[in-house]
Amino acid sequence: MSGLGSASEPAALGEPEAGTVVAPGSRRSRRRSVALVVGGVLVGLVVLVAVVSLFWTPYPPDDTTGGRLSAPDGAHWLGTDKLGRDLVTRLMIGARIALQTGAGAVLLGGVLGVLAGLAAGFAQRWLDDTLAALLDILIAFPTLLLAMLVVAARGASLASAVLAIGLAMSAIVARLTRVLVKRVLAQDYITASRTSGTSWPRVIVEHVLPNVWPTLVVNLALQFGLAVLAEASLSYLGLGPPPPNASWGQLLQEAQATVLTAPIGAIAPGVALVLLVVGVNLIADGLRDVADPTRRRSS
Amino acid sequence: MKRKAVIGGILTAVLALAACGGGNGDSGSGSADANATIQVGSLYEPQNLDNTNGGGQGVTEAFNGNVYEGLFRLTDDGEVEPLLAEKHEVSPDGLTYTFTLRDGVKFHSGKALTSADVKYSIEKVTAENSQSARKSQLEVIKSIATPDARTVVVTLASKSISFVYNLSYVWVINDQAKNLSTSEDGTGPYRLGAWKRGSTLTLTKFDGYWGTKPSNSGVVFHYFTEATALNNALLTNQVDVVTSEQSPDALKQFDNADYKITNGKSTTKLLLAFNDKVAPFTKVGVRKAVSSAIDDKKLLESVWGEYGTLIGSMVPPTDPWYEDLTKVNPYDVALAKKELAAAGYPNGFTFTLDTPNYDPHPTAATFIKSELAKVGITVNINVITADEWYTKVYKNHDFTATLQEHVNDRDVVWYGDPTFYWGYDNPQVATWVKQAEQSDTEAQQTALLKKVNQQIARDAASDWLYLYPQIVVASSKLSGYPVNGLNSQFYAYGITKS
Amino acid sequence: MKPVTVRRARGSLGRYLLRRLAFLLVSLLLASVVLFLLLRLLPGDPANALLSVGATPEQIEAARHRIGTDRPLAEQFLPWLGDLATFSFGTSFVSSLPVGPEIASRLAVTVPLTLLAFLLALVIAVPVGFVAAWRSRTWYGSLLSGLSQLGIAVPAFWIGILLVTVFALQWRVLPAGGFPSDDWASAPDALRSLALPIVTIALVMSASLIRYVRSATLDVLGSDYLRTARSLGSSFVGAVWRHGVRNGAVPVVSILGIELATTFLGAVVVESVFALPGLGSLLVQAIDQHDYPVIQGVLFVSTLAVLVIGFLADLAQRLIDPRLRSGVGT
Repeated sequence: MSGLGSASEPAALGEPEAGTVVAPGSRRSRRRSVALVVGGVLVGLVVLVAVVSLFWTPYPPDDTTGGRLSAPDGAHWLGTDKLGRDLVTRLMIGARIALQTGAGAVLLGGVLGVLAGLAAGFAQRWLDDTLAALLDILIAFPTLLLAMLVVAARGASLASAVLAIGLAMSAIVARLTRVLVKRVLAQDYITASRTSGTSWPRVIVEHVLPNVWPTLVVNLALQFGLAVLAEASLSYLGLGPPPPNASWGQLLQEAQATVLTAPIGAIAPGVALVLLVVGVNLIADGLRDVADPTRRRSS
Repeated sequence: MKRKAVIGGILTAVLALAACGGGNGDSGSGSADANATIQVGSLYEPQNLDNTNGGGQGVTEAFNGNVYEGLFRLTDDGEVEPLLAEKHEVSPDGLTYTFTLRDGVKFHSGKALTSADVKYSIEKVTAENSQSARKSQLEVIKSIATPDARTVVVTLASKSISFVYNLSYVWVINDQAKNLSTSEDGTGPYRLGAWKRGSTLTLTKFDGYWGTKPSNSGVVFHYFTEATALNNALLTNQVDVVTSEQSPDALKQFDNADYKITNGKSTTKLLLAFNDKVAPFTKVGVRKAVSSAIDDKKLLESVWGEYGTLIGSMVPPTDPWYEDLTKVNPYDVALAKKELAAAGYPNGFTFTLDTPNYDPHPTAATFIKSELAKVGITVNINVITADEWYTKVYKNHDFTATLQEHVNDRDVVWYGDPTFYWGYDNPQVATWVKQAEQSDTEAQQTALLKKVNQQIARDAASDWLYLYPQIVVASSKLSGYPVNGLNSQFYAYGITKS
Repeated sequence: MKPVTVRRARGSLGRYLLRRLAFLLVSLLLASVVLFLLLRLLPGDPANALLSVGATPEQIEAARHRIGTDRPLAEQFLPWLGDLATFSFGTSFVSSLPVGPEIASRLAVTVPLTLLAFLLALVIAVPVGFVAAWRSRTWYGSLLSGLSQLGIAVPAFWIGILLVTVFALQWRVLPAGGFPSDDWASAPDALRSLALPIVTIALVMSASLIRYVRSATLDVLGSDYLRTARSLGSSFVGAVWRHGVRNGAVPVVSILGIELATTFLGAVVVESVFALPGLGSLLVQAIDQHDYPVIQGVLFVSTLAVLVIGFLADLAQRLIDPRLRSGVGT
């Protein structure tokens, strides 16, 4: 399921999207900057809410005085949940959790993935074949299963969820990095640099990384959105942080029992999720051409 | 537009599918339909079909009284009636029980019931490798004799007034039956049709049944892992009745003429169990203080709304020795502070509360934390899985305090066992429990257990937060279903569907 | 010369097939062994699932003895290996039922669910993705692209909840969940139970497939060889078909393989919303109860499915694109 860690964007698997040589100011580039702006606004909104939640929420998070499942009114703008907790408050805390998960998973997956991908990129022949096959198997290993095993080993918590999602992500990032690194290493300027005596570490830092960096950033941005969705699914299945967890996925799970009598609870967290993920994806789209507008389609 | 056409196509296909293939047929008429199949929805699937092998709560629900019968039956009101034992006699010294079996009873396989089957069945529960929850209670049996095919003579090592009651839990199984984890051979009004694990368990009417035929032709238990899916199934008439609602939220949608909501008697209690052997809960004063600092009523309301009952002790209202002891440790914050100071903790203290990760424990834990903070006690909530709870708390007694729900009835006797996980060690109480079991009359037993009840309340051995409600929701077309569900049983033979 | 080339190509294809098959089996075996060890290193006692409050220490030991977890690791491993060799997956710790038939009955739900959802997603995604690319500069092209952008941001279970609410609870045209107890004995009933889940999965899957198809189509439409083919006189459709599909399909096929494979177990979220007795929910329950034989059995089957699908996807790629056929290596 694309909501659970498989790549849902061409760039996420290292297949570059169709890009033709674009002159700045053309229609496509204008559309791309719109994407960047809109995405930035959406994500910025969520970040703002999350930051504010650290200092202030309409009610204390454990406050259950609201009366169960009350409809939206002046006191509770979106009503209350089944224990009487204010929904706006819980949504704000959920924003914080979503961003923490996304950032944590991307950090873990990014660092692990890039390191592994670099190593694989340099491998030759049978080692290369084996690593490629290993990465393929790891990618096909369902994130969900990985999450369940991690939870079984460490107990359910935000850290376990981040660990599982990050690990799953690192395989995809590693595969992409491997392909990109190989492409760079095949270039002439690498050979030239080596013959002139540059050490491998310097080659990596000066030539390899700067060339793989743009595509990686776009990919990581996309993975951020996928990580948020994955955490929502895990919380929905009860594998996320334990109650009184306020992650958006958990809110949806709790609300589905009363979807007919209190629909807001089942709609608001879903809308929040969509807004955040769409925002992140738009930023990734915008970054793709901003980061490398002269990139040509390659097979 | 391609996409519009596609969506239109999907909708049409969906509606077409909906048109063909029917839902549950409505018989339409108002009178009872003896050929109806009752669809029951439950969250408790059997783990396997053998209640001495870890079958779990689910197999009791599906099989007790329906597929298997005992020498005695526990009715929905909590009375013990003779069933397969037509009559029984007790020797004057209370050590020998003679049961006369009913004549003409056959197992589903066709074999006739004999005393050998009864002996086998009881020994299965007391066997060394038995996982039955009743094993320890039947260990008082010294020997079982079968002088003839209709007579069973059981000799006890000591008097046991609960013996007949305990026997109502023992299934009488054909001693030649094999593969009891996956098949059955009982004497009940239904036989097992098919068990599709994760989905349904089907019972069909047994034509050779010795007693009154069931009012329906069969039962299908539908198992769900989520309460929402279960309620949705009831709402869309895929099931006719839900055996036990776990939260009051979804009840609003059943508040109409199509459904009936009943609030029966339950035996499930939520406990804040102290480890009485670990400081600071070794002190009675501390335990009483904590009990008085928590507003049980508010907690009950926030979890169950208008349902549920407050209890002051381990004994639910359905047990014969029940007394309302809620005033012994009333909710009184000032009193709590005083008791804390008197016990030597004027500034409170800190402890870790091991909390199972499933509802309602985390909610209760959060509530308790905020209540105890008002008297200066800091609670660290440690969320653990059911598995961890068994190992850490139950087996290893490695905890300071924990939350847990206890479903059995008549379980106040566990306070007479100092090795039980909560470590309550009061020799007087232990003596009373032993004496109660060896009483000659039920009046004696009741009097003694009442004393036990009062003592554990005075000692605040645990904090009994509340008694769960037993809410059954059924379609208005249904009648004759059990509303109390004692010990998870669900007798289906009296249910009629119109 | 043609027959010779074909024979040589087929020969190397055959060798390739055999190599891949061997690789597949070895991976499967390796994965199973790793899983076996991993499970037994996890904390938690499978025997706990069989107990209730009131269990004595002797009963706890007896439970462990019955399921065999009180024996040393090596002693547990060999019988399991033997079981595997005879295609038996052993019996469940909890239900004592043989694991194989249980998995088979779950597959009777999961396989049709996954395949039908996949087909529906293809039916939606291929035309829509193509149009979104072909008419990318029009308003409806952008709309389609925008909708797919929305589609990949929506959690599958949310769509499921919304569909259940509308179609099952409000309009009462389809069941809210569950699966007929007699399986496929009545196909219309079984399909009615699967209808909403299939649509749920298909909607999410197609959103992401649309983006791939669109991207691949844009690639093809802007490509040199297409321009060349057209300049040499081929019709647009002919050129797209002969060159475009061949080239564009290759990366798309590999994505399809991954999507299909991950949906197998990934559908557990949808199974949860619709209370379907599928493979994913069996796995969740088994992990919860530490039912090792069931966990191992399910993972064996799903790893096999993933590897086979990957293999078939690879094969399809090679068949589509002759350039990949005589190549050596993966």
